[in-house]
Amino acid sequence: MKSDEEFRSYFKKALKPVLAEFEAKRKSIVSKLSIFGGIIVAIAAVALVFVLRNTSDMVAVFFVLIPAGFLIAGLWWWLTHDFVHEFKLAVIAKIVAFIDPELQYQPTGKISRSDFTASTLFKQRIDRYKGEDLVSGTVGKTAMRFSEVHAEHKTETRDSKGRRKTRWHTIFKGLFFIADFNKEFKGRTVVLPDTAEKLFGRFGKVLQKMNVSRDDLVKLESPEFEKEFAVYGTDQVEARYILSTSLMERILNFKRKTGVQVSVSFVHSNVYVALQTRKDMFEPRIFRTLLSFDLVADYLEDLRLASGIVEDLNLNTRIWTKE
Amino acid sequence: MGLWIGIGIAVFVGLIVFGMYNGLIGKKNDCENAFASVDTLLKKRYDLIPNLVAAVKQYMEHERGTLENITALRAKALSGGVSSDEAVTLNNQINKALGGIMVAVENYPELKASDNFQQLQRSLNEVEEQISAARRAFNSAVTEFNNAVEMFPTNIMAGMMNYKRRQLFEIPEAERQNVNVSELFKA
Repeated sequence: MKSDEEFRSYFKKALKPVLAEFEAKRKSIVSKLSIFGGIIVAIAAVALVFVLRNTSDMVAVFFVLIPAGFLIAGLWWWLTHDFVHEFKLAVIAKIVAFIDPELQYQPTGKISRSDFTASTLFKQRIDRYKGEDLVSGTVGKTAMRFSEVHAEHKTETRDSKGRRKTRWHTIFKGLFFIADFNKEFKGRTVVLPDTAEKLFGRFGKVLQKMNVSRDDLVKLESPEFEKEFAVYGTDQVEARYILSTSLMERILNFKRKTGVQVSVSFVHSNVYVALQTRKDMFEPRIFRTLLSFDLVADYLEDLRLASGIVEDLNLNTRIWTKE
Repeated sequence: MGLWIGIGIAVFVGLIVFGMYNGLIGKKNDCENAFASVDTLLKKRYDLIPNLVAAVKQYMEHERGTLENITALRAKALSGGVSSDEAVTLNNQINKALGGIMVAVENYPELKASDNFQQLQRSLNEVEEQISAARRAFNSAVTEFNNAVEMFPTNIMAGMMNYKRRQLFEIPEAERQNVNVSELFKA
C-alpha cells in the first residue's frame, strides 16, 4: 500500500489542478442556484400572499408550496447532475488509479442485483435496488469488484381513511464487495453480525440455532469471533475449511479497524463482503470548498476500505489447489 | 379434571425425556460422523505420499532414509487393525516426516521449481487445511457432546445411557514445537 506521504504529493501534483477547475464550476453552480432559487422563492412568496388574501382554505397553500418544491428539486438536479458525473470521472477515477493502476472505475456502474442476491446475506424481498461507483479489477492474483449499493423493500399500509401509504425500508446501504476466493468449495457459508448472542448470551445461541431461514449454525472455537459473529453453513467441515483460524482473526481485525457492520459470505467460489455505512460516498460537495486535502483523503480512505479487503483477508495467498 | 392434568403432566415429562434421549444420540452420532471425516481426509493424505516420494526420490539422494521411513509409516497406517490411539501417533510421525521433506526440498531449487512438485505441494497444503478443518469440526462436536454429558439435566439421562466424556483431538506437544531439522534426519 502506498504511504500517506505519497498521497500528499500526488494530491499537490495531480489532484489540486483538477480540483481547482471543479472549484470554479462549483462556485458558478452556487451562484446560479441562489439566483434561480431566489426567483422561485420570490414568486412563491408573492403567490402565497395572493392566495392567503383571497381564500382561507389551507389546501390552497399546498398548491403553491408543492410546485415550488418540485421546481427547486428540478433546478438542483439540472445544475448539479453533470457536475457530479464529471467530478467523479476526473477526481474519483484519479484516486482509484492512485491506489492501483489496474483498477477500473465506472461512476454509474454497480454490483448487479443478481450478484447481490447470490450472496444470500440478505433474505428480505428487494423492491428497489440502486447502486453507483463501481470499482473493478485484479489485485495481485485476485479478481474483485465493489460498488455502493442501496437495497430496499416496501410495506404498504392503509390509514383510517383508506388511503394507501407506501413506506420504504432499507435492507442494506453501504459498500458491497465481491472477490474470487482463494480456496475451492461447494457449499455455502455465511458470517453475520451477531445480535442475539450479544443481547442474550448463551440463550442467544439457542435462538440462533432455531433460525429456520438460515442453514445450520456453525459454532467456532474462537470466543472473540463468536461474540461478534454468527456463522451458518451447509457443511460443518467446509465452513471451518474456509474460516481457518487465521481468516477468523483477519475478519475480526477488519471489523475492528473499520468499525462498521461487516457481513461476509462464501458462495459459488466467491467471497462477498457487505460493509454497512450511512453516508453517501464519493460525492462532491456543493456548498463547501472542494480544494481540501481532507475531502480527498476521505475518498481515498473509503476506497481503500474496500480495495484493501483482498489484502486484509489474505486472498492473494494461493497455496491451495485453486490457482 | 385431575386425571387430565395428570395425563398432561405425564405427556409433558415424556416429551422432555424423549427430547433429551434423542438429543444425546444425535450428538453422539455427530461426533462419530465428524471423526469419520477426519479419517477420510487422513487417508486422502496417505494417498499423496507415494506420489510425493516418487517426485522427490531422484533428487533427494541424501534423504533416502527419511523417504523410506515415511513410506513405512504410511504402510503401517493403512495396514488396518490400528487402534485409534496408534492412528493418532502414526499420523503425528507422518506429519513430522512430511515437514522434514518439505524443509529438505529447500536445498533442491530445481525440484522446488518443478511443476510436478508444486502441484503436489498444493495438494498437500489443501489436505492439511482440510484435515485441520475436520479436526476442528470434530472437536466442536465432541464439546457439544461432553457438555450434554456433564450438564444438568441431560447428565442424568447420559448416566443412564452410560455415555462418557469423549477425548478431543489434540495436537501433541512435539508437534507444537518448532521443527528441528537436524533431529528429523537422524531417524
